[in-house]
Amino acid sequence: MRKITGFLIFLLVFWCSSTACGKVYIDINSPAFQKFPVAIPEFKNLGKTGAEEKLSVWFADQLSRTLKITGFFKIISKDAFLEDQNSSGITTGEIDFSNWSSIGSDFLIKGGISYSGKKLAVEFRLFDTIEGKLITGKKYWGRPEEKKTMVLKFADEILMALTGRGGVFDTKIAFVGRKGNRSEIYTINFDGSDPVRITTYNSLTLLPRWSPDGSKISFTSYKAGNPDCYITNPISRKTKRVSRFSGLNLLTSWSPDGKKVLLVLSKNGSDDIYIKHLDSGRLQRLTKNRSIDVSPMWSPDGRKIAFVSNRSGSPQIFVMDSEGKALRRLTFEGSYNSSPCWSPDGTRIAYEGSSNGCFQIFSIGENGDNPTQLTFEAGGGESPSWSPDGRYLTFSSKRDGRERICVINSNGLNLRVMPGIKGIKLFKSPSWSGHLNLY
Amino acid sequence: MRKNLITVILVFVCSFSLIFIAGCAKEQAVKSDVELTQAQPTTEEAAALKEQALKEKALKEKILAEAAAFQNIHFDFDNYDLKPESRELLEKLADWLLEHGDFEATIEGHCDNRGTAVYNLALGERRAEAAKAYLINLGVAGTRITTISYGEELPADSRNCEAAWAKNRRDHFIVFPKKQ
Repeated sequence: MRKITGFLIFLLVFWCSSTACGKVYIDINSPAFQKFPVAIPEFKNLGKTGAEEKLSVWFADQLSRTLKITGFFKIISKDAFLEDQNSSGITTGEIDFSNWSSIGSDFLIKGGISYSGKKLAVEFRLFDTIEGKLITGKKYWGRPEEKKTMVLKFADEILMALTGRGGVFDTKIAFVGRKGNRSEIYTINFDGSDPVRITTYNSLTLLPRWSPDGSKISFTSYKAGNPDCYITNPISRKTKRVSRFSGLNLLTSWSPDGKKVLLVLSKNGSDDIYIKHLDSGRLQRLTKNRSIDVSPMWSPDGRKIAFVSNRSGSPQIFVMDSEGKALRRLTFEGSYNSSPCWSPDGTRIAYEGSSNGCFQIFSIGENGDNPTQLTFEAGGGESPSWSPDGRYLTFSSKRDGRERICVINSNGLNLRVMPGIKGIKLFKSPSWSGHLNLY
Repeated sequence: MRKNLITVILVFVCSFSLIFIAGCAKEQAVKSDVELTQAQPTTEEAAALKEQALKEKALKEKILAEAAAFQNIHFDFDNYDLKPESRELLEKLADWLLEHGDFEATIEGHCDNRGTAVYNLALGERRAEAAKAYLINLGVAGTRITTISYGEELPADSRNCEAAWAKNRRDHFIVFPKKQ
């Protein structure tokens, strides 16, 4: 989605009671977490023209869809609604909250639309129906084509009010789409909208990885005959080759400051892990081993590196410090564990492991505690990548014989399969961006 | 003493010049002969030449067909050890490459689609390198062999079953005439 300039949308913060403000309703990471039940009736037409009518339903539906995607909300069916829309309003005094609490909707979102000239003005209000109180409210002005942005912004407000943190609506997922013997890099928005092809090399192009600030995507491509590493700007498409040794050149992780990358190079006959300093071009070798050492991934504080090695016989996850020292083995259960990905808070590492002949997504404490299986379906899961808030994981999974990009909440619930792209049968290697400040 | 040396050098230079001139003259004579023969070949000679060219062409095609016919070798899951039957195939390939010094080989390493794409790129590289090391051991010059890993990206059989996976865990050989 296009970046929208600040002046187009003006926010008006409504007053809200001091008890509701800043109160975190439920810890969404708790295993006992129940989804927030919320009702979103059609938005009210507050204007005098007929232009608002068709948007009443659109706003309610779009907001319902957006909240549902987060995995934290249970949207109450319209069929259950008791309220007569015509006789009620969108402010506290105009709402009989018992109409909503009695149908199990602890939360209610009301909205109103009006046109002022060519500008669209939309009010959103989130209520606690048990206490009969406004939790938060906002009014947005903008061009009609910015209506989706308004929905995403208010969805972010809702998450902030109820969970103490905003959403990941301004993030994208980069992945590989393969057609026959060729593959390209694509990006898609968090909600599955707006797929964009980033490369057009008609070659094999693999392993997209976002730079921490989201301004660049690295990948490996065979376009010049050898698997070499490139870094591209996904908007200008300006691309630079950063590693072209004979053999493998795989870039699997950016340092938190974006100044260094971790490479796997096989130029010396054995694939080993190197740090490349992007400014000076200096290479620093971290592993020197006859075993396979791949998939290095920096911890969020940049002090540690998780990677995969078969030095103990089968692929397992190891952790070392950023100098290649203080090596320890992390995974002991299962005969094949790989693709480590550090959670944004640094406490857990997601990975794929074999389970009953199929690969599934797991996570394990950074110190090796508590390995937990997160996916169980027959399609399995490979190559996990965390969302920047750590609340979700994206991975690839086989669905109806095709490999698709999926998203789950970090507790393993709320599986969502990303929409496909016409003509492409296989999607893999997803990488979740940081916040891109799109809205 | 010094005068003698100059004389010797002069004699040498003169002798070499004479040889050089004579050589040139001889070469010219031969060359004009050849041109004469080629300008008017007899029918028999033309037929013989044609037959020769056809034979050479057929031989070249036979060699190229042999070069294209080297079978894939296969591997166990997450493994790059050469199986006994793979060694036999590699021995045939080594013999052939030793016999045809003007050919080179590229070894492509491939994996099945289970496991991680990145790990499989490394595994494919190991599979290709294992075959290359074996060929080198059998006397083929390492400079004639290149390796490339395609990991799990180019399956020979895109189904998801053991039969397809077994086919996909392979080294593929491309044998081609040395580029000039």
